[in-house]
Amino acid sequence: MISVTGLHKHYGENHLFKGLGLEVKRGEVVVLIGPSGSGKSTLLRCITALESFQGGKVIVDGIEVHPENEKKDRDYAENIRRVRLKVGMVFQQFNLFPHMTVLENIIEAPSKVLGLKKEDLKAQAKSLLKRINLENKTMSYPAELSGGEQQRVAIIRALAMKPEAMLFDEPTSSLDPEMVGEVLSVITGLVNDGMTSVIATHEMGFAREVADRIVVFDKGEIIEEGAPDDIFLRPRLQRTRAFLSRVNG
Amino acid sequence: MSLLVQLALMLCMAAPALPESGPIEKIKARGHLLWGSDAEGGAPYVFPDPKDPSRLIGFEVDLAEAIARELGVTARQSQNAWDSLIPALERGDFDMVINGIEITPQRQEKALFSLPYYIYSEQLVVRKDNKDINSIEDLRGKKVGTLSGTVAQEILTKKEGIDIRIYPGQVQPYEDLAIGRIDAVLLDLAIAAYYGETNPKVKYTGQPVGEGHYGIAVRKEDKDLKEAIDKVIARLSSTGELRKIYEKWDLWDNNQERLAEKVKAAEGYVGIDESKKAPLYTFLPLLAKGAGITILISSVSMLFAIILGLVLTIARLYGTALLSRLATAYIEIYRGTPLLIQLYILYYGLPNIGISLSPIIAAFLGLGMNYAAYEAELYRAGICAVPKGQMEAALSLGMSKALAVRRIILPQALRIALPGVTNDFIALFKDSSLVSIIAMVELTKTYSILAASTLRFFEFGLVVALLYLLMSYPLSLLARRLEKRLKGERK
Ligand SMILES: Nc1ncnc2c1ncn2[C@@H]1O[C@H](COP(=O)(O)OP(=O)(O)OP(=O)(O)O)[C@@H](O)[C@H]1O
Ligand SMILES: [Mg+2]
Repeated sequence: MISVTGLHKHYGENHLFKGLGLEVKRGEVVVLIGPSGSGKSTLLRCITALESFQGGKVIVDGIEVHPENEKKDRDYAENIRRVRLKVGMVFQQFNLFPHMTVLENIIEAPSKVLGLKKEDLKAQAKSLLKRINLENKTMSYPAELSGGEQQRVAIIRALAMKPEAMLFDEPTSSLDPEMVGEVLSVITGLVNDGMTSVIATHEMGFAREVADRIVVFDKGEIIEEGAPDDIFLRPRLQRTRAFLSRVNG
Repeated sequence: MSLLVQLALMLCMAAPALPESGPIEKIKARGHLLWGSDAEGGAPYVFPDPKDPSRLIGFEVDLAEAIARELGVTARQSQNAWDSLIPALERGDFDMVINGIEITPQRQEKALFSLPYYIYSEQLVVRKDNKDINSIEDLRGKKVGTLSGTVAQEILTKKEGIDIRIYPGQVQPYEDLAIGRIDAVLLDLAIAAYYGETNPKVKYTGQPVGEGHYGIAVRKEDKDLKEAIDKVIARLSSTGELRKIYEKWDLWDNNQERLAEKVKAAEGYVGIDESKKAPLYTFLPLLAKGAGITILISSVSMLFAIILGLVLTIARLYGTALLSRLATAYIEIYRGTPLLIQLYILYYGLPNIGISLSPIIAAFLGLGMNYAAYEAELYRAGICAVPKGQMEAALSLGMSKALAVRRIILPQALRIALPGVTNDFIALFKDSSLVSIIAMVELTKTYSILAASTLRFFEFGLVVALLYLLMSYPLSLLARRLEKRLKGERK
């Protein structure tokens, strides 16, 4: 469903990805782990075209996005938009719209982008909020919610667009520890329902629990990948072992 | 005894005892006679020599020099806005005022006047092709230009139904007359002779009206100086020197001959009829009208500035490279040049290329286009203050950039910019007084007209300041409330 091949990404002088590749099958849950600055966020941002890249290609459900120097392609902008409609994204900083209520945050894009009826969307949003026990916050503004609540709303907001896959970029990294659980359980529920997901996280227990496959990043490279038990119990590389022992304290 | 006291005593003894000295002694000791006038008023009174603009010339310059010569000193001109020459004299900025000051009872309350040195009258000027205006009786319903605080203005005010346009200088009314913005100009004959007669598109109509006298004003307590000046005027008149000055400036006429007779007989003079010292409230309707125009101009201009500013910001931040550069250039030009110059160009400059705007449209455009540049900067700062994640979240939800800007970025940016925009509105409110230079009589202009004609600068000043405050204070209150509400929303 998501296929990244030969990806090259430069940040100025910094040549981060030198021909990176990643395949994600429909229904698969891939978890990205690795040290800070290794390129997990950048890969997710390249997939939704929030970040341009200089070589290789990203194909989402048959839609191709090319590097930025081939932008003149007349379909470029259209393809990016189609990719974004297929892939939802959840950010570390939640990024809820502060001037809109929870309900408005959720229905804004489906009503404006997909042209769906507001009444239907509202009903649907309310039932989604109910599932995560936030139905009493429908009319609240983001600033009135806790971090955990905001992130759960952000997940609902992305789901309201009915994406075929979800990308999570460290969804719990800016939360107080007591709120991590409530967000992870929402994601776990989603994954168990079969949502294709790519998740960057530092929560190793969670990674091991939800992942079909773990992908280990280091310095812009995928150094090792495999089933959770293989990676956590039998890592092949010294670098992976070093990373794991660092995060496990 | 302390050293300090000793020193003080020494200093006291060292200073020569000052003789009791009157104004003339002071002038002689100083070596020059300071006279106040407004060179912006123009020819033929006092104006920069076209051949050497650093030098002032005019019949009043000649007169001042003649008087100084008689007193054995040199004359030195001191520049002051015409409207406030008398208050400046009272304050002691100069010894006397020679600047076409009509002798009126109101002014005689504030200053002492010499014998008259010139008889003026008011001349009506219309366009060459005009047939229906033959005297000031025909002015009902017409647009008539004049200068602030003049006798001509007083004459026009007394007639009902005239649409009076007040100008800051002598040139503009005749220019506006020539291009059809107004129907007639009523001003001193001396001015008409210089600026009206020389314009091929206009002509005199009817006999001069509202005869009166120009006198030299000195402070009320400077009786000696007045007497000395009177003597000089009498002498200049009898020796024919005064006549020579007037002939040089093409001002000699029957009236001045009559004046010479009068001065010889030193029989005093009559001022034009006075409007009594009316209580303040009688002026309230006039002030209220001025305030209304100020509100109208500020509100419409601000609305225009807000919209144009938004267009500029979007062009600058999200437009093509060319659009973005054009918007940036616009902002830099409008922020980098004085509003006053922009207004002058818009109103007096554009007719040169065939665009003649009415005063009110010029006011809206002038203020609006200027403030748009400032609004654009505020919005830009607001947009930059919206976290980058907002745009990313919007895009990743499938929104187009335009939709994201409109629904997500701008609403947040405008809230951030709101306090600045409100402050700008209050500033624009006060800057709106600048449009008086394009013949709009708003509150400040109403003030300067009333104050100049009644010389009640203080009372009217307080009233007008209060009116401005009454208008701007609710605005600040509203702004504060809005801000509070928004803050609540964001927390
Ligand atoms: N906007 C940017 N400009 C320049 N360099 C950047 C930018 N964003 C990321 N980088 C660099 O790219 C590299 C990869 O960053 P990235 O954010 O993808 O890492 P990460 O694996 O998500 O790290 P973390 O676990 O801390 O989130 C880092 O070295 C970072 O300094
Ligand atoms: Mg990251």
